[in-house]
Amino acid sequence: MEPFSSELRPRLRARARLQIDKVTGKPALLYPEGVLMLNPTGHAIVSLCGGELTLAEIVASLAERYKVATGQISGEVEEYLNRLRRLNLIELVDLGEGKK
Amino acid sequence: MSRPVQRLYGLLAELTHRCPLHCPYCSNPTALTPRGSELETGEWKRVIEEAAELGVLHVGFSGGEPLQRADLTELVATARQAGLYTNLITSSLGLNDRRVEALKQAGLDSVQISLQSDESTLADRIAGTSAHLRKLDAARLVREAGFPLTINVVLHRENIERLPHLIALAEQLGAERLELANTQYYGWAFKNRTWLLPSRTQIEEASRVADSAKKRLLGKMEVLFVLPDYFSQRPKPCMNGWGRRLLTVNPAGEVLPCPTAKEIGSLRFDSVREKSLRWIWEESDAFNRFRGTEWMPEPCRSCEFREIDFGGCRCQAALITGDASVTDPACSFSPHREKLTQFVELKEREALQRDGNSFVFRAG
Ligand SMILES: C[S@@+](CC[C@H](N)C(=O)[O-])C[C@H]1O[C@@H](n2cnc3c(N)ncnc32)[C@H](O)[C@@H]1O
Ligand code: SF4
Ligand code: SF4
Repeated sequence: MEPFSSELRPRLRARARLQIDKVTGKPALLYPEGVLMLNPTGHAIVSLCGGELTLAEIVASLAERYKVATGQISGEVEEYLNRLRRLNLIELVDLGEGKK
Repeated sequence: MSRPVQRLYGLLAELTHRCPLHCPYCSNPTALTPRGSELETGEWKRVIEEAAELGVLHVGFSGGEPLQRADLTELVATARQAGLYTNLITSSLGLNDRRVEALKQAGLDSVQISLQSDESTLADRIAGTSAHLRKLDAARLVREAGFPLTINVVLHRENIERLPHLIALAEQLGAERLELANTQYYGWAFKNRTWLLPSRTQIEEASRVADSAKKRLLGKMEVLFVLPDYFSQRPKPCMNGWGRRLLTVNPAGEVLPCPTAKEIGSLRFDSVREKSLRWIWEESDAFNRFRGTEWMPEPCRSCEFREIDFGGCRCQAALITGDASVTDPACSFSPHREKLTQFVELKEREALQRDGNSFVFRAG
């Protein structure tokens, strides 16, 4: 897979839809083959994948929100996003293309 | 009943068994539901709403060919209003720009189109009708309308060697996912399994091709290739467990723990015409019979994999051994495994002798 860079922004693919599950009140990622229930951190990460922020910016935003050092979470966030990329739920878009 | 009832996530709505194609690998039952017995629009709407209340988040509209139902768009809209993710599982015959537009308006989330091969001579021979070029047009319409597209190809002896071309075609059509579904032997496919079963060499080559495509396309197009049961050591975690996550409503309104459960002659299925979906999911005998792990015989009962594959497929157990409650014969621990292995090997010998082929094309 293409590595993350300062030019590329993670974006939730059109095939996936983030929604609140009525039964549990928890966030769920819906896509053609199934359903992924998200934990609060997963939800926070996916919510930032609008194609406007780079990985570094997503990590910075989460670090600020959870009051931790970026170095403490960057590996985990990257791995989480890569897992979603392998499921083809997140794509990387070029700078400028993000707002489409 | 003390068996744990889990959270239901998905509904497969088989709107009709009618279909303009005649795929000899079709997993639909050989006894097809006639049009006159199909659930009506209002009944389907009620099913969808009841499903949403039960916690369903995801609905697949399938069949037969779901586009044969004039009320498809209306049902998609109902599902969307109930907050469900909607996926259309189709041969695409009957799709035109007007219909694509209406489905878009109704809020359809994604489309899965099945192809029989990558070029029309073979594809149309398998489909039993001229369909392939129309499918390519439909796939383009679907992409132009901005729908995410999954391409599904059922693999068998006749088309499995086309794999590299199939992958290229899916890429060219802009699919985000390619399902290379090795034929599962139920319904018409079970009838035709002598003609459909690939050779071991074909399977090995196909696995190699699929693996390298998977790597090459990672993050662009998801490629799914699952080793067919007859050639693997462990069964599939069928339906992620019986009565655990998914249910199917067939065209006549019977509620099934799995789309092929009608293969199991010893089960009686309740209908949404008589009972609520909740009652059927939670209380009915068909759903509770193989729920959890209590029902399991040996070797499953004491096996470390029992919460992983749930003992495999009940339909396959019924078809191969005559008893739906035994370990899936696809499992190498099953005392019946030999029956599948012998079939595969017998096939290898037959293949050397045979020339032509004679599918039983799906009727209806
Ligand atoms: C029964 S079909 C109904 C929808 C539509 N007529 C179609 O063919 O796409 C549902 C899905 O199951 C696949 N399928 C059919 N028979 C199968 C079999 N024996 N094993 C695995 N998949 C099968 C089809 O390719 C399709 O993707
Ligand atoms: S698999 Fe083929 S015959 Fe069966 S319903 Fe789909 S298109 Fe029709
Ligand atoms: S014995 Fe049963 S539980 Fe164990 S692997 Fe085989 S099918 Fe699965």
